[in-house]
Amino acid sequence: MGEPSAPILKIFGILDITPEVITMLAIIAVFAVLGLLLRRSLKERPGRLQNIIEMGVGYLDSFFTDIMGRKNARKYLYFLASLFCFILFANYSGLIPGVGISPYFKAPTSSLSVTLGLAALTFVFIQVSAFRAGAKHYIKHFLTPIVPLLLMDEIIKPASLALRLFGNIFGEETVIENLYELLPIGAPIIMMALSLLFCAIQAMVYTMLTASYLQEFLED
Amino acid sequence: MTESALTAIAAALCIALSTIFPAMGQGKAAKAALESIARQPEAAKDIRSTLLLSLALMEALTIYGLLIAFMLVGKIR
Repeated sequence: MGEPSAPILKIFGILDITPEVITMLAIIAVFAVLGLLLRRSLKERPGRLQNIIEMGVGYLDSFFTDIMGRKNARKYLYFLASLFCFILFANYSGLIPGVGISPYFKAPTSSLSVTLGLAALTFVFIQVSAFRAGAKHYIKHFLTPIVPLLLMDEIIKPASLALRLFGNIFGEETVIENLYELLPIGAPIIMMALSLLFCAIQAMVYTMLTASYLQEFLED
Repeated sequence: MTESALTAIAAALCIALSTIFPAMGQGKAAKAALESIARQPEAAKDIRSTLLLSLALMEALTIYGLLIAFMLVGKIR
């Protein structure tokens, strides 16, 4: 369960290129091309594509404003929004027909290594931004008799984020696989339709919890 | 009983128990949220996001159970 898949290619003998890595690179390439394309054709009167993206950014902005307040949301939007987009696309990539079955593509978030990597990134992000927002306040937060518990809390929060994301996506993929074996045509559709909803909710929950964990440091 | 039969029962109990009790908690949370939205519709936005957050935290317990169940199923020979 959650073991890394067999590497397709080994670079210098240590860097394994697994199906997850290929899918992640594909997602990053899509974002990069979209970004470069849009930057060149940025207009005062938005075209169709720019309109859609602006709507999405506006939605994310108001979503984080509700949690963190206007100032903090604007400050950390760059990280939180890109985390949201990446997780959303990584979750949805498992629903493309053939992904997971073909040896070259697999939903990245259905592997524990990827979600733990994301959790490590989140951990560093929360600690560093909390420290930079107010060093004195940050140190004061840990100056209590229950320091070991607080330190453990900081580790467990990202770990539970990683396990939640991994468990949901991995469980979903396994259910779809078993339904496929039961009745190849028709049965997986039900679960895949539900997955459309669950994948978005998981991406939302991950970023929402990250934002509110950071907010705990920033307020009071 | 053989060892793999015991493992299978353990996996079944694991997922069953970890579904039942968080589901009860989620039901209670959703009930309270719906009642307060009905009483005070203008606070619906705040209540909804808090509800989603707490539901996700409860859902995590079920997911841990699911992971352990998968691990146990993998051990059945």
